[in-house]
Order: sequence, then structure tokens, then C-alpha cells
Amino acid sequence: MTITATGLTATRAGRTILYQSEMRIAPGERVGLVGASGSGKSTLGHALIDTLRAAGHGVAHVPQSPDEALDPLRSMAFHWREAERALRSPPCPARQQELFAALRIAGGDLCKRPWSWSRGMQQRFVIALALIGTPDVLVMDEPTSALDPVVAAGTMDLLDRHLAHSDTALVLITHDLGLAARRVDRLMVMDAGRIVEDAPTAQVLASPTSGAARSLCAHRNWLELPC
Amino acid sequence: MLSVENVTVRRGRAQVLNDVSLTLAPGKTLAVVGESGAGKSTLIAAILDLVRVAAGQITWAGAPVRRCSPALVMQEPRRAFNPHLSLRRSVMEPLEAQGHVIDTSHLTTLCAGLEIALDLLDRRPTEVSIGQAQRVGILRALIAAPPLVLFDEPLSALDAVTQKHTARLIADLQREAGFAALIVTHDLGYAAAYADDIAVLRAGQVQERTPAARFVTAPQTDYGRTLRDAAFALGALERVA
Ligand SMILES: Nc1ncnc2c1ncn2[C@@H]1O[C@H](COP(=O)(O)OP(=O)(O)OP(=O)(O)O)[C@@H](O)[C@H]1O
Ligand SMILES: Nc1ncnc2c1ncn2[C@@H]1O[C@H](COP(=O)(O)OP(=O)(O)OP(=O)(O)O)[C@@H](O)[C@H]1O
Ligand SMILES: [Mg+2]
Ligand SMILES: [Mg+2]
Repeated sequence: MTITATGLTATRAGRTILYQSEMRIAPGERVGLVGASGSGKSTLGHALIDTLRAAGHGVAHVPQSPDEALDPLRSMAFHWREAERALRSPPCPARQQELFAALRIAGGDLCKRPWSWSRGMQQRFVIALALIGTPDVLVMDEPTSALDPVVAAGTMDLLDRHLAHSDTALVLITHDLGLAARRVDRLMVMDAGRIVEDAPTAQVLASPTSGAARSLCAHRNWLELPC
Repeated sequence: MLSVENVTVRRGRAQVLNDVSLTLAPGKTLAVVGESGAGKSTLIAAILDLVRVAAGQITWAGAPVRRCSPALVMQEPRRAFNPHLSLRRSVMEPLEAQGHVIDTSHLTTLCAGLEIALDLLDRRPTEVSIGQAQRVGILRALIAAPPLVLFDEPLSALDAVTQKHTARLIADLQREAGFAALIVTHDLGYAAAYADDIAVLRAGQVQERTPAARFVTAPQTDYGRTLRDAAFALGALERVA
């Protein structure tokens, strides 16, 4: 059944940073959320998560900064145990090893605290945490922002495999249109706290209607390369 | 000139940098790319004397690097600021400490270029988006205009339009002020468009150093090719349709 979240809004210090919005997400669907820096993508992500959880849906979240997910005073092993416990999932070393190998963090020392891991390693650890269970919706906020192209591709491939045989829907917040073009079915475009466009990915990329989408599409590439 | 000679850094039992040598001439741009966890941020920490160097030497114009008061744009944008202070105080304090006279019109121009609304500076780091915090980090580094600026993933939280404006602004200021820029980035498109040279770091070692234009067409090592091909596959280097 399609999940609907309505009445999504946010105000901070008397300013509205997210205007009345709603999102509909079909089971297994992949939605991309794009827009300028500061347009309200993370805010919409948080509002969506709060609303879905309040309605009893299972939601996993990969926040934009690993700092939001990791306690600096706790070891990585502690975070893993806590996540398994929260999902009432019995400890499963094989699953952990499989995820870590695919994400190329098998070499990370679990006895260490987050700050002994590089930023991109922390990000991948948080992704692994989100892949322990099978939530209704997985919200990932810029999950490849700290990853090199090889590791980023591997991470997105793992995600594809993980989602392929489940009903888990993906909300992928990203500034990377190249990434979105390859990984999501539908694109939602945000501008100044509003969703200004919502259409199949190919349609948005080929004929954007909003000013925000048009300018993002026009600046997609760094340079024209001789091929 | 920044000179990193045969530098080794250990953290715990692990050797995080292994005999790394690099140079960067005044006014030039060196992009450092490579695998996540390869030691790029550690290289920056070593240059700034924030980690102990087990072997080797790092100098700017023959003297300790700190003497040129280099600026740093940190990888984790919000962590770069004191959470209790307004962003404006965090930007101004190092300038005041160094006895710089702050030219408000210069601040206003830079904010406009970085698309930072002036009222945003009155907020604390947790009260702005991560990409906004990242741009304030760049503002703080550029306004001091030291001869050496170290950027750790400076555009990682920005959208395509803001990335391009910010990259252009950094390059323009670099041309005016003549600072040397060491830019750690995962974005090969950015590196190819703006760096003079690209150095590839993997498992604590420099694999290759290649002029940026040549790296895109002909990387010198297998890992360099793997990285370039992956960037193409992800769309980071794709041609305009
Ligand atoms: N304080 C620390 N104590 C122990 N090990 C550390 C510490 N900081 C970093 N490391 C290790 O050093 C290696 C290099 O880390 P570094 O942060 O320099 O990588 P990086 O190239 O910047 O990666 P990323 O692209 O993910 O930011 C990693 O394996 C990391 O786990
Ligand atoms: N506590 C606050 N007080 C005032 N404004 C705030 C506060 N928190 C966030 N904002 C504003 O809300 C807007 C949306 O922020 P949000 O983090 O959702 O943006 P975003 O689209 O995720 O940006 P980015 O791509 O940079 O991560 C921003 O303009 C930000 O400055
Ligand atoms: Mg955000
Ligand atoms: Mg780093």
C-alpha cells in the first residue's frame, strides 16, 4: 500500500523553513530529493521520518553527517549492538561481515570510537547500520558525499541488491544529479522550503519545468570532455 | 613552496601515511584524490602539525608551515565552528587575533559570491544547513587570504549550481591573492576543471601525480584508471548531452 505523509512543515525561530508539503511513496519505489543547498531537503527528510514513525511505519535513516548518528564516546561495536537490539534482531556476525566487505570497511577497528575512522568510513558504517533491518522506508541524506567514485559506486550497487528483493522504499536526498539519474525512478525538486516539481526522473532531466530544476540540470557537468 | 618530504604518520598500530612526498608551488592548485580512508585528511593534519609525524619533514618556504598561518576548510562543516558562537564571531575571531582590519565591504562581496545571506551569519552552526556551514567555512578561510589554503572536500555538501559558483570564486580569489591551494576532493570533475595537478593517494601512499588535463584522458596507474572510470560511470565526468 502506498504510504502517504501529509502536513509536513517546519518552522525555526519564527521562520517557516518547510511549507505544507506531502509525499506519497509506493512500496519498493525509489524517490530522489534534489534542490539547492539550503532549500530544505534535510528538513523535509526529518519531517517525513517523524510523521512516518508516528504512524507506526519502520524507517531507517542515514543522516547527512555521521555525527548525527554516532556517539563520540561509544565504540563502533557498541553502536552495532545497539542497532541490532533496537530492531530485536539477534546478533548475526555473517551479515555484518557481508555488509562490511561490500562497503569496504572490513578493515575498520570496531573497538575504536567514531573519530578514529575516516569521515567516509563513518558514513559507510552508518549506511551498514541502516541496512540491518527491512524498514518500510529508507531515508538517505547525501549517502555518498564523503565517498570516492569507486566506493560510492560499490555502495550504491549494494543498496540496489539490498532493495531489489524487498518492499523497502528509498528516499535518496542528493545534490548529485548524475547519481540520481541512475538510481531513482522519480525526482522531487525543492526550492526555498517547497516541493516545486515531482515527476519521473527521465522527464525532469529531459524537460525540467521549474526554475530550480532547470538550473540544476544546466549545471550538471563540470566541463566538456574530449572523448 | 609547500614541501612534504618522505612523511610517515602512524596512528595506533596502523601506518596511515607511508613515505609521502609532494610539493605545491605558490599560486598553484594541487588536487588530492583517492580512496576514502586513504589518508587524505591525515595528510592535511600533518601539514598543519596537528598529528605527530613519525618520519620526514614538512615546510613552507623552508620554514615550519605554521609560520605562514595557513587556513583550513574542514571536511565536517559544522564541526569547524564553536557551537556556542554565532558564525559571524567564528569568522571574525581568527582575523582579529591576527590583527587584521576587517573590511566590511570585502566581507559583503565574499558572502554574495558564496551565496551566503548576511543574516545567516548571526545564527549558530547547528541553525544552518550543512552546505551553508560549508560555505561559511570557505568564507573564513578566504577572508584571511593566507599564502596557503588547505581545502578538505570543500564542495561535498553543495548542489551543482553552488558548486560551480564557489569553485569559480575560489579560483578568482586565488588569481588575485596568489595563494597556493591543496584541495582534497572526491569530485574528479572539479579536480579536472580547476587543479593544475592531481595526486592520487591510496593506502597512505602517493600512486601518481599527473597534470589534471592528462589525468582525465590518460591516468598513469591502474588505480588511477579505476578511479577515473568509476567517476565516468557515476556521471561525475560525463559529457554534456
Ligand atoms: N585518530 C585516529 N586514530 C586512529 N586511526 C585513525 C585516526 N584518524 C584516522 N585514522 C585512520 O587513518 C586512516 C586514514 O584516515 P583519513 O581520515 O586520513 O582518511 P581520508 O583519506 O581523509 O578518508 P575520507 O575520504 O573517508 O575522509 C583511516 O584508516 C582511519 O581509520
Ligand atoms: N534553527 C534554524 N533557524 C533558522 N533557520 C534554519 C534553522 N535550521 C535550518 N534553517 C534553515 O532552513 C533551511 C533548510 O535547511 P536544510 O538543512 O533542510 O537544507 P538542505 O536543503 O538540506 O541543505 P544542504 O544541501 O546544504 O544540506 C536553510 O536555509 C537553513 O538555513
Ligand atoms: Mg541537508
Ligand atoms: Mg577525510
